[in-house]
Order: sequence, then C-alpha cells, then structure tokens
Amino acid sequence: MSLPEFDFHAPGTVEEACRMVAGFGAKAKIFAGGTDLMLDMRRNRISPEHVISIPGIEELKTLEIASGMLTIGACVTVARVVKSKEIAAKWGALCAGAKALGSCLVRNLATIGGNVVSARPAADIPPSLMAYGASLVLKKTSGERVVSINDFFTGTGSTAMGPDEILTRILVPEPPPHSGAGYVNLGIRNACDINILNVSSYIALDGPGGAIKDARIVMGCVAPTHVRVNSAEKLLIGEKPTDALFQRAGEAALNAATPRGSAYSRASAEYKKDMVKELTVRTLAMAYREAMGR
Amino acid sequence: MGEISMGKFDVINSRAVRVDASDKVRGRALYVDDMKMAGMLYGALLQSPLAHAEILNIDTTAAQRLPGVKSIITHKDAGLVKFGVSPARYDETIFCHDKVRHVGDNIAAVAATDLDTALRAVSLIKVDYRELPAVFTVEEAMAEGAPVLHAAFPRNITAEVQDEFGDVEAAFKQCDLIKTTSLVNKRQDAAFIEPQGCIASYDFSGNLTLYSSTQSPHYIQRVVSMVLGIPMGKVRVVKPYVGGGFGPKAATNHMELAACLLSMKTGKPVKMNFDRQQVFMHGRSRHQFFHHMTTGVKKDGTIMALKHDCYLNGGAYASFGIATVYYAGSLLGGPYKLPAMKYHGYRVYTNLPACGAQRGHGGVIARGCWEQQLDMIAQELGIDPIEMRLRNMMSAGDVTCNYLDMSSLGMKECVEAVRDRSGWKEKKGNLPPGKGIGMSCGFFVSGAGYPIYRSDTFHGTVIIKLTEDGGTALVYTASAEIGQGSDTTFAMIAAEAMGIPLECVRLESGDTDFGVDLGAYSSRQTLMTGLATKEAGEDIKRQVLEVLSEELHVPVEDMDIKKGFIVFKGEKPDITALRTRYIKEHRGWSDNPAMDEELSFREASRMAFLSRGSIVGKGKYKPPILGGQHKGAAVGTSPAYGCSAQVVELSVDEGTGKINIEKMTDAHDCGLAINRTSVEGQMYGSLSMGLGEALFEEVKFDDKGRVINDDLAEYKITRALDMPAIEPIIVESNEPNGPFGAKEVGEGAIMPAIPAILNAVADAIGVRIFELPLKPERVYMAIKEYKMKKEKEKGIEGKTLAGSSQKQA
Amino acid sequence: MKKLIRVTVNDMEYEVAVKPNQTLVDMLRYDLGLTGTKNGCGEGDCGACTVILDGTPVSSCLVLAVQADGRAITTIEGVEGKDGLHPLQKAFIEKGAVQCGFCTPGMVLSAKSLLDENPGPSEEEIREGISGNLCRCTGYLQIIDAVKSVSK
Ligand code: FES
Ligand code: FES
Repeated sequence: MSLPEFDFHAPGTVEEACRMVAGFGAKAKIFAGGTDLMLDMRRNRISPEHVISIPGIEELKTLEIASGMLTIGACVTVARVVKSKEIAAKWGALCAGAKALGSCLVRNLATIGGNVVSARPAADIPPSLMAYGASLVLKKTSGERVVSINDFFTGTGSTAMGPDEILTRILVPEPPPHSGAGYVNLGIRNACDINILNVSSYIALDGPGGAIKDARIVMGCVAPTHVRVNSAEKLLIGEKPTDALFQRAGEAALNAATPRGSAYSRASAEYKKDMVKELTVRTLAMAYREAMGR
Repeated sequence: MGEISMGKFDVINSRAVRVDASDKVRGRALYVDDMKMAGMLYGALLQSPLAHAEILNIDTTAAQRLPGVKSIITHKDAGLVKFGVSPARYDETIFCHDKVRHVGDNIAAVAATDLDTALRAVSLIKVDYRELPAVFTVEEAMAEGAPVLHAAFPRNITAEVQDEFGDVEAAFKQCDLIKTTSLVNKRQDAAFIEPQGCIASYDFSGNLTLYSSTQSPHYIQRVVSMVLGIPMGKVRVVKPYVGGGFGPKAATNHMELAACLLSMKTGKPVKMNFDRQQVFMHGRSRHQFFHHMTTGVKKDGTIMALKHDCYLNGGAYASFGIATVYYAGSLLGGPYKLPAMKYHGYRVYTNLPACGAQRGHGGVIARGCWEQQLDMIAQELGIDPIEMRLRNMMSAGDVTCNYLDMSSLGMKECVEAVRDRSGWKEKKGNLPPGKGIGMSCGFFVSGAGYPIYRSDTFHGTVIIKLTEDGGTALVYTASAEIGQGSDTTFAMIAAEAMGIPLECVRLESGDTDFGVDLGAYSSRQTLMTGLATKEAGEDIKRQVLEVLSEELHVPVEDMDIKKGFIVFKGEKPDITALRTRYIKEHRGWSDNPAMDEELSFREASRMAFLSRGSIVGKGKYKPPILGGQHKGAAVGTSPAYGCSAQVVELSVDEGTGKINIEKMTDAHDCGLAINRTSVEGQMYGSLSMGLGEALFEEVKFDDKGRVINDDLAEYKITRALDMPAIEPIIVESNEPNGPFGAKEVGEGAIMPAIPAILNAVADAIGVRIFELPLKPERVYMAIKEYKMKKEKEKGIEGKTLAGSSQKQA
Repeated sequence: MKKLIRVTVNDMEYEVAVKPNQTLVDMLRYDLGLTGTKNGCGEGDCGACTVILDGTPVSSCLVLAVQADGRAITTIEGVEGKDGLHPLQKAFIEKGAVQCGFCTPGMVLSAKSLLDENPGPSEEEIREGISGNLCRCTGYLQIIDAVKSVSK
C-alpha cells in the first residue's frame, strides 16, 4: 500500500500554519509526529489533499517550567518528556504515560500534542494531563483561547478544537505540596503495547497525614473518550486516605465504567470493569505514596 | 554425551562466526526487494474483499487504459492448472475463475512501469460478485447443509485421519487413572520480518529465472514448471538472502506465479512484493487446533494409552494441511513409551486465508495439550512431574507404537539437565503464591522420509568443485539459508569432510541450478543436506589423495588431510619434486611454501587439477525406507528425532492476570552440534516464538472473514522487553543417521515452550487453563472463576452452620 | 509534483527530487540505492527501517522524504568507520546476534544511538533501547549480549 497523493506544506511559523489550516479547512491534515497520520493514510482511512507539517516550527517545541507552570509545546516529542528529569520529579504520572507510549522509536517521533489531539481512548498522554488539571492553548488566525483538557474530548477522534485551530501549547500546573499522582496502563505485553485500559489518579492532601482535599481520577478505554470518575472523586474528598477508601473508590470507578466489550475490542467489558477498579486502587496508592513524600 | 566429543573435530562442533554475518551487519546482504534490474516492471495483485463469492464478471478495460500499465492477467491468461503443496490436494489456481474462497483470494495481477501505477490499475479493475454464505469455524464448516468450498470435499473436510496403534480400549481397562482434557490455540502468523517478494525474469530464449524470498527453491521450481508449462530445465529459482520463513515460505505463492506470467507476457523483469497486510491475507502459518485427549495411566505413572481427537481450522485451501493433521497425531508417539495410541483428526476448510506449516509443524499445540495433561496426571497421582516423565522415557533404540525409530535420544539427559540447572527440586512446591514453575518435554523430526510430492528423488545433492589454483573449495547446494545458519553449517561440514579450514570454503546456495534440495522445512537440512555435503567433501578428499598417491607412491589409506595439510600416517615421502613443480607454476607469487613446510592441501589439489582437470566431488542423500506401512506413515517417520526439555519460572500478577516469564532453562538434544552458536540461536528463537504463541499471538477476524489485526502492532510478537533470561543447554547424543552425529534443532526447540508455560501458570495460580493465548484477561478470568468457585464451596459449608443466626439478624 | 530536497546521508550531500507522498525509507532504498535500510511493515511497527535522523533513531517509514530536507541521516551503510567495522557490528558478528539479518541494520542503528547517548546502559536500558526493533529469529538475547559487550 502506498500513501495517497497530497500537497505538502511546511509552514515556518504558527501564524502561517494557522492561515493554512483556515484556508484548506477539512481538506488538510496536520502532520505533527506522523505516527498516527501515516498509518491512517496508508490504510486509506483518510486521504487529505494537503498535509501541513508542523514539527519544524520552533515555537511548538518549547518545553519549560516557569512560575509553577509546565509548558509543553505541541510538537515536543514524547521522548523528550520521558527524558526530562524535572517532569519526572514533579509530574511523575505524565512521565509514566510518556514512557508507556509505544516503543522508543515511536516516542522519538510522536508528539505530546499529537497524542492529545488524535483523541483516542487508548492514548497514554491525556489521562495524566487530565489528572493534573492541564489546559490547552488553541490558536487560530484571529487569536488564541485556552480550554481545560476536561472539556476537550468530544468523542473518539473528535475534540472541541475548531477546523481552523491548532493546538500550540499544553499548560500543566505544578501539583501543590502533599499531592501525588499515578498512571498505570495495561497492555498484553510487557511494554510498548497498545492499551487495554489506562487509569490516572491524582490526590492532594490537607497537609501531611491530612484528609484528601482534591482528587481527580481519569480512565481510558471504557468509553469513547477518556472520562473523569466524579463519583469516585467525590467519595474521596474529605476522607482520610486508607486502603479501604481506595477500594471503595475503585468500586465506584468500576460502577461508573461503561466499556463496550465486543469480540473485536481488546478485552471484554467484564474484564475492563474489573481492571478499572484494580488500576484505580493501584494508581491511588501510587498517588498517596507520592503525596506523603512531598 | 555432553561435551566429550569436543576436540575430535577441527572445524565443526565449535563456535563459528556465520559466513554471512559480515555482509548482514553492514546492510550489504541482498534480499529480493534490494534487487533491481534494467527495465524492471512492478506488479500488484487484485485480491478479493469478500470471503466467499461467485465471480460474475471481471472488467479490466479501465485499468488497461491507464498509462504505464503493461499487462493485466486473470484466469483467462493464467489457465486453470491446479497446484498446491501435496499433489493429493492440489486445490489452487493462480487466479480464481468461478469463485473466491477467502478475503485475499487472488483474482488478477497488473504489471506497470511503477508500483503506484500498478496499484492504481488494480483499483480500476471492476469485479462483479455474488456473495455466498461463508463458513468461518469448524462447526459452521462441518454442519449439515453448510456451504461447501471445494465441490470435491463434502462437509469441507480436507483430510480425515484415523489411526490406531496397539489396542487403546484394552489398555484403558488396565489403567488406574484415565484423564481427559483439551486445548485450543488461535491461528498464528509466522511474522517473519521480511514480507514475501519476488522478481521474475523471462528471457527471449525461453528461460525463466525467479528470484524469491522462499524456503524451498526446488518446490517453487516444480510448481512454476508444472503450472506454467515450462520444462523444469528452463526454470531457475534463485533465493537471495531471506528475512525469515518459519514455514509459510516453503510453498509456492500466487504472487510468484503471477510475476512469472507477467514477465513472460511483457518480456521484462517483474518485481512483486506483499505488504504486511497481504502477508496476513496470504496466511499459511500455524492452524487453529482443537485437541481433545484421553490418557490412561497406572498408579505408578506408567502411561498406557492415549486417545486423541483433533480438529483443524484450515482456511480456504489445503496448503500443508494434510501433513499438518497427520503430524498433529503422529508426533505424540515420542518421547514417552506409549504402547497404544488412537488418533482421529480432521482438517477442515473454512472461508479464511489458508493455514499451513509453521515451526514445529502440527505438533506444537498437541504437545501443549498432552504435556499439560501429563502434569495434571502426575499431580493427581502425587508424583513429581519430572519424575513421572523420567519413568516413561524412551531411550535410544526404542521404537514407538507408530514406528518412529529412536536411533538416538538424549531425552533423559535433557530432562535431568533442566531439572538440575533450574533448581527444580528446591523450587517445585516451595514457591510463594503467584509464582510458578513448570516443565515439559519436546520431540520433533529431522526431516521426512519423502518429499511433499511422493517420489524417489534425492532430497539433497551437493557438488563441490576445487578452484584450479587448489586453494578454494566451492560448495554448491540448492538448500535454503533463511536465517537459521545453514550456509555456515554446510561450509563447516564441507571443510571438516575435506580436512581444510573453513576460510578455504566458499559456499553458494539457494539456486536450483546447483542441484536438488527440498529446502528449509521439516528441520531437514542439517541432517539431509549435511550428509550430502559430507559425502561430496569426502569424494573430494579421496580424489585429491588418489592423485597424490600416484605422484608420491604412497597408498591412499596411508594419507589424510587435516587442517589444510596432508598427513602421512607412515613415513613421510620426499615431496621435493612435487613442491618444486608447484613453485614453478607460481613464479612471482609471494606466498609459495618453503621447502621444509608440510605439504599443503592447496599444493595437492593443484596437482590433482593438473592431472585430472576439474576436481568435482558429488554428494547426495535420500532417507532409507522408514518404518510403518499404514496410510500417512510418511508423516512422522524420520531418519532421526531431536528432543528437548524445558523448565519455565514465572510470576502472575493476580490483580490483572498478567504473566511475567522470569526464566527458561532449556535443553535440546541436537545430536552433535555443528555450530554451537547457531544451535543456541535456534533455541533462543524457538523459545521467543513459543513464548509469543503462549502469551500474546492470535490472528483475529471480523464476521466478514477479514483479519482485524493485520499489522505488527496488534499482532503481538515477543519484543526485547518480554524475553526472560534463558539458560541454554546443548545435549549431544550421537545420531548414527546424521552427518558426524548431527540432527535437528530448528523446530523441536519450540515444542516444550507452550506446555512448560501452561504448567508453570497452573503452578502459580492453582488453576488450569485450556485455551491460548494466556493473555491477561484469560488468566484473570480463570483466577476469578476459581476464587468464586472456592468461595461458593466455602459458602455452602458456611451456610449450613450459620443459617440460623442469619435468620435472627 | 516532485520537490527538490537537499539531504546529508552518511556525510554525503544529496539533492533528490521526491514526491510529497514518498516515505523516507523509499527514498533511501530506491532513489539513493541504500538498501541496507529495510522495509518490514511500512507502518512503524517493526523498526527494520530505522535510521538516525539528526541524531535520533526513527522509523523511516513514518517520515516523509520531504521532511528530511536540510537534515542529516545515518543509515547502516554509514556506520562502518574509516577503521573498519563499528565495535557494535563486530560484536553482533561474534555473539551470534545475526540470523536472517533483516532486522540487523535497524538493530545496529538503535543500539548505536543508545550507546552514543549512554555508553554504559543497564540491561534494562538496552532492552528498552531496542524495544522498537522486532526480531523474529534470535529471541534478542544474543543481540542484548552483543550490545552489553561493547558498553562501557
Ligand atoms: S518498516 Fe518502518 S517500522 Fe517497519
Ligand atoms: S535476525 Fe531475523 S528478524 Fe532478526
């Protein structure tokens, strides 16, 4: 199989890219890391008339931590996030998600932005971003807007991003003291695998040994998009963290999950539900361990 | 046994560097898609999108009109000569004419100036279909009134095998324990990293050369000749380097035939390649097997009888399937003493890509089923599973109930080695919950008694020619180096047989012009091509010594060649005249021997050339008549059998069902190891494939018969991160029927992997699983069910006691 | 329409006219004749097409040839130095890390970039470093062994 024919564009700036996106509309596809796009084109799932390649735009490759905010340019590769000691220290769950994404060869091309925008429920980057309360900067010719990642995914493969918009940066606030997060993905093989399921949890404690004052639990592959588990979060807030509490949160997550198990999906609904619980409990324990140490 | 043979040989039984490694690490080794020819066209196939449909019309007009298109062929051009693997089941044609039988079935091919044009032309061919009901499972295919794929095969049965050796029912009557279990696997893909590809080049003298990524140039040559009606002498099949085969590349594919025909039509070389999706659509890898076995034993663990039923989901064509269904039964004849065995096997057509042969042909899942069952029996009898296996073990000289002759068998040594090296005795029964240890034995042929077509032909012929300067021996064999290291093996055998260093041997292989060789399948080459090579080498040595004898007046028996020099057993003759003559011949050369040096092979063979012209040594091999007169006796009988044993240690994450294999200790009896590094390479590779099959691999289909996971992301083979530590142990029996005592390792080594894992998982979680692969979900569900069952049992007990108090509450 | 790009491959400058939908692996193999880079899947799953692009190993089937414009590439043909084989290549030969050899170029390049960045990797890091390269023949252990033998 070969790739469909298209015109290739490599804008030098975000502004130029925005103009192209606005001009071509639905006929264009953005090439960030290409790891998804190339497959979709090869398999004839899409055949864009225009491919707009953005990994050459410097502005989209910033990776910085300043005044309590981690800014990740959309075209920062997953490999760069894996290698960043600062991210590993403060945003461990994000780092775990990045490490879990594909093989090292894929990570060298795949971008953080691409993993978010492609909006696949098995994606490794969105769960922890949601758990950390990240927001996304979307830009078009007329200006930019910031949306919470919680409101970004509208369905499998679809997002709140307009056809004339480009994701430029991801803003991840620094987690407060006495908080922690965890990410676990479950595949068939030891690593480099496509997920059967993934869960990320975040909790913030009211001081060392205190009650939970904030919690976010995100699960993937149990619905068309990554989803927050409000029931489990509510149940945690105001309580002292214990194993039993985490079990109850896991139970709540299990009840909230509505996976569509079919012969063709990677696992049955029953298994996925049980795993939502298991991974919720595990990630909460990870989050708690981290919160106690910080 | 062990390493006692070390030191007896000068070249073999060592750790040699592969003859092809230097090119391969540089990216210099040429695979078929690396080749390019002047004026070469590119071909593409039109393959069916439907699983079962009548072809009403094929319209190529639009495609014909596309600029750059040079030829379009359909059944009208290709004819309807049937081919396949086994002549008894030739059921394929190059292109379908009346109907398609699976998604990916072949309808037409295009040759064009470039690949994009060829692909575009393929998309412009219009085919009208009438969809037919399709069958995808064994049950559907064998059901009363089910649609039939091939009219000649009612109920879609490709082949049915019924065998009984000894009296199974009578034996069962003497048994203390009779156990019945089953095992089902999923269809596999061999997942070689190089997809099939070929270049066909037809010249204007009527000669056809086909370069192909194949395991058997000879079989391809025969089929091409037969189907296209060209004399075999005008068909040359050449195998460049091949990026792995593992079975599916052992049979002719439609692309090879289409490329030949396109080249004949256009008078230009035509290149064609499968992409990864087409590799899956072509299939021909391991079948899905449904095994059902009943074994009877005595209290002390003595195995008395095995009753075995098996159904194979075979896909749309027979391919290797007849052999597969026979092997699935016959390979259980060893390595245990088994007085009675009854087998009933069905190989069934379905509307899926055809299955064929894959590493461990036919025997892998059968072995998995039986070795798990033997473990369960041992457990029930309270006998250590290794102890039970040792009690039943055959040894060299034994013949199985189905006439397999154990001419050598280091099985006991293998079992003891893995037992001792793995620390089995300390570990078995003493591991914490979630950790498990398991073992299994394995057993496989070293080639079959007959070619896949019945014939008295030689299975391998080898020619060695000395270069006129005497310094180099050119070995010509049509055998197939596909990665396993056979070129190096035969170069080593040739060197050893001639008595010269490996560096003096240059080997060319994989070309039907070099002779007959059935190719790389059935683990046959080391033994069969090896024997032919050895014979050719000895022939050379004899001829050189004969000339020397004439020159020096020393009887041939009193001389030998070793490490490239002539050895005189008695008194050293005067070689001055001979050497002077040699040096005169090489005036100006800087490497002429000094007068006091030993007489070299180079000098001797130069003399031989001067006296006789080309010195050519010939070797050939065909197996003797092997045991068994029953139908199908040819599938399973072999000149020699390799065997293996394995211990697997693993842990199971009970929360998710995920298995982590921690260590494999593996012993294999390959007879004398020609190249130890390669033997270990085959062991590692087999284990990694077995691990993948046990834990991850399955080809999945949707309800239209399309492969869902036709890529190497969703078809999951073992990656570097999944491999455990492996301790390989080479056990060397001395195989009387093999070259220098050698026999197989390439396939037998995969045999114990799956059952050893099954047994270790059961040891870890306390419950048996009878379906593969052992993906986390399957393991987790098994644990969950087991726990629920146990709780229920407890609950019932609990209720009777606590019933009244509950009422009060 | 073809576009003229300028790319440095194994320290040689090339000008190549490429179609927008042409992949880097195809350009290397068919336009430049550097067939040491293999195509095993074309979909980023096997690593046979690994090349080092501006210092980073990538699957060249996932990169468009036009995107290589102005960049530097090392393929397997460029690994051998003036003094002969790279130590990794020697180790692959000696340790039996090569069977069919189809994965070998990609493996060598992945291993090379790993060692370039981290000359003393742990076994886990080695496994991680070649995790994108599938090998169906060797079971990886002899490859891991080869990489280990040349790490510091
Ligand atoms: S060919 Fe590029 S990853 Fe397989
Ligand atoms: S050596 Fe064959 S795929 Fe690695």
